[in-house]
Amino acid sequence: MKSCMGKVLKVDLTAGTTAVEKIPDEVYEAVLSGKGLGAWYLYKNIPAGADPLGPDNILGFCSGALTGTGTFMAGRWTVVCKSPLTGGWGDANCGGVFSPAIKQCGYDAIFISGISDKPVYLYCNNSKVEIRDASKYWGLDATEAENRLREDNSGGKIPRIAVIGQAGENVSLISGICNEGGRIAARSGVGAVMGSKRLKAVVLAGSRPIPCADPDAVKALSKELGRKVNNIKIPKGLGGAIWAAGIGMGKMPAMPLDGSMTSILFREWGTPSNTPLAITSGDGPLKNWGAGPGEVHGIKLAMAYNPEKINKTEEAKYHCYSCPLGCGGRLDITGVPYSEFYETHKPEYETLQAFGPLCVNGDLGSVLYLNEILNRAGMDSISAGNTVAWAIECYENGILTKEQTDGLELKWGNYEAEIELIRKMIAREGFGNDLADGVKRASDKYGGKEYAMHVGGQEPGMHDTRNDPQLGIHMVAEPAPGKHTIGMAIQYGAMSLCDICSWAPPATIHSKKDDLEATEEMALISKANACYSMLMDGMGSCYYAEMMGVHMYKAIEYINAAAGWNYDGDHYMEVGARIQTLRQLFNVKHGYEPSKVKLPKRMQGMPPLRTGPLKGVTLKNEEQVATD
Amino acid sequence: MTAKKIPSFHYKNCVSCSICVQACPVGALDLTRPGKSGRYRNLFPELVNERCIGCALCAKSCPMECINMQAVYEGE
Repeated sequence: MKSCMGKVLKVDLTAGTTAVEKIPDEVYEAVLSGKGLGAWYLYKNIPAGADPLGPDNILGFCSGALTGTGTFMAGRWTVVCKSPLTGGWGDANCGGVFSPAIKQCGYDAIFISGISDKPVYLYCNNSKVEIRDASKYWGLDATEAENRLREDNSGGKIPRIAVIGQAGENVSLISGICNEGGRIAARSGVGAVMGSKRLKAVVLAGSRPIPCADPDAVKALSKELGRKVNNIKIPKGLGGAIWAAGIGMGKMPAMPLDGSMTSILFREWGTPSNTPLAITSGDGPLKNWGAGPGEVHGIKLAMAYNPEKINKTEEAKYHCYSCPLGCGGRLDITGVPYSEFYETHKPEYETLQAFGPLCVNGDLGSVLYLNEILNRAGMDSISAGNTVAWAIECYENGILTKEQTDGLELKWGNYEAEIELIRKMIAREGFGNDLADGVKRASDKYGGKEYAMHVGGQEPGMHDTRNDPQLGIHMVAEPAPGKHTIGMAIQYGAMSLCDICSWAPPATIHSKKDDLEATEEMALISKANACYSMLMDGMGSCYYAEMMGVHMYKAIEYINAAAGWNYDGDHYMEVGARIQTLRQLFNVKHGYEPSKVKLPKRMQGMPPLRTGPLKGVTLKNEEQVATD
Repeated sequence: MTAKKIPSFHYKNCVSCSICVQACPVGALDLTRPGKSGRYRNLFPELVNERCIGCALCAKSCPMECINMQAVYEGE
């Protein structure tokens, strides 16, 4: 493939050796790079039944097939491994600038096996691959370690660094891997795998050119997209009214949307624009997935998370590599009274929802602070938020006592207790030690399983399945269950996949109730969503490029130009299907049975919510994902 | 006098994508220049040290065609 480097770096930390393996062209034709290459390599090379925290597990850092070719929004890096959280396929995906750095060292991916007997980091540039002592960085948080590693390796090309914090070092099963000051590849417990290998960081300082079949054609596509994004304008001050739009959305039928809609919101406010919308529309889970907006003073909560307030503290916008949109930012948090930090990344919607409305916490400052603590420790805010919400509900219902929680008053809205509990989870201290491996294991020990929201062992993303039954299908059928980024009704409505794929049904205006049924059309929509999502992951492209739809983000034209191919959308959807099938096969090989993965009863609306936009909704999820 | 070429940036169309920063083989660029109009508080690329070797990889990489190589003379 003309946009790839054609080889991968293999590192054995037990033996302290490195080697290079050439990848045949047929592999790229079949599964592209990124998550596809990762799935192909791990399926082949991790023995069935391997311990996820043992030497046989392989941790892969994969760049995208289009990363570095001039393609916009194709700078995502994907971490792959066998997940210690679920026991099946694991992956996590992140922005920043690490993805092109992998290719600039001459590789499409770096695969790391074995376990080092002391803390180490991997260093690569154009001519060197070295496993170096990391003793002096072990124990530092991810941001501090990254800063010191950058300083210690300065003098030429700016090194790009993937690094774990204390959560990964302590092998917390809900830990991730960070870059660029706390941007985190969070899901599947990938940080625990890195910690178990005693690998503190991967430092990349290569400057090799990244090939591209037709750079002028790629640039022309990017220029067109860049101009469209630059022309997006929205009147000032509308952020304060988003909650009201959410009330309307909660009552509206499902419908096709313009692909630029999310770009408008994200360019102005980033993903925090979704928080007030989610609270009032039914998209965002409230009070550990157990209440409607009226039961938690939803409008007051939504106003507390007004994205205009967040923008007021924004020092500068933050763009990932090759992104013209720039949904990130750096926030000044010197005004947060209990924060010892002066800035943080703009929190994602997921973090705001998980530690705000999910825990009935209306204190924005506390969530900004928690965001920084979690980013530095390298802990997944989705998993941690669901776990804290479970603990609060257990405490409120007498399942957990004050003695068990080390004296913490875990009550709804008590953000000081939330902060202290997170500190304990990161340090694996006392009660926190039992929560550091996620909500499934915590509820196995203490009970309260009816309050433990996890899908196949992984805590779900902050979008309510009762609001979007399609999402419920993906959360269960996805090889890394519980993820919210594979498919949703709103996403399908914006993508216009029927314009590139002959078998993808068109998005229509229809009652949300229709999405509850197990129909052939729903099966095809779910398949199309998953195939396109895998295709984008193979390219290294962003979820928000996916949301732009095929007319704004011309994925098919991009691949053909960068790779020198001339295939149609049907061909590439088949590539996506192949990647998804490989990930499922990985689970089958390791005895992780897809048919045993179920949504928690509460997420299925059993019993249904009593108030709000999701009142009375019960899913037919098991019927929709039946495997026989 | 010896001539050297260094990048000159036209920020009007720049989208802060950092493709030029990562293309630089010697770490001479970074996104550190604050925007003037301020609406989106973007940071833009600029030369941050003396390492530029005039290779023009930044200019070639820019999809928005915002970078020209401009001759400067020693002592300027």
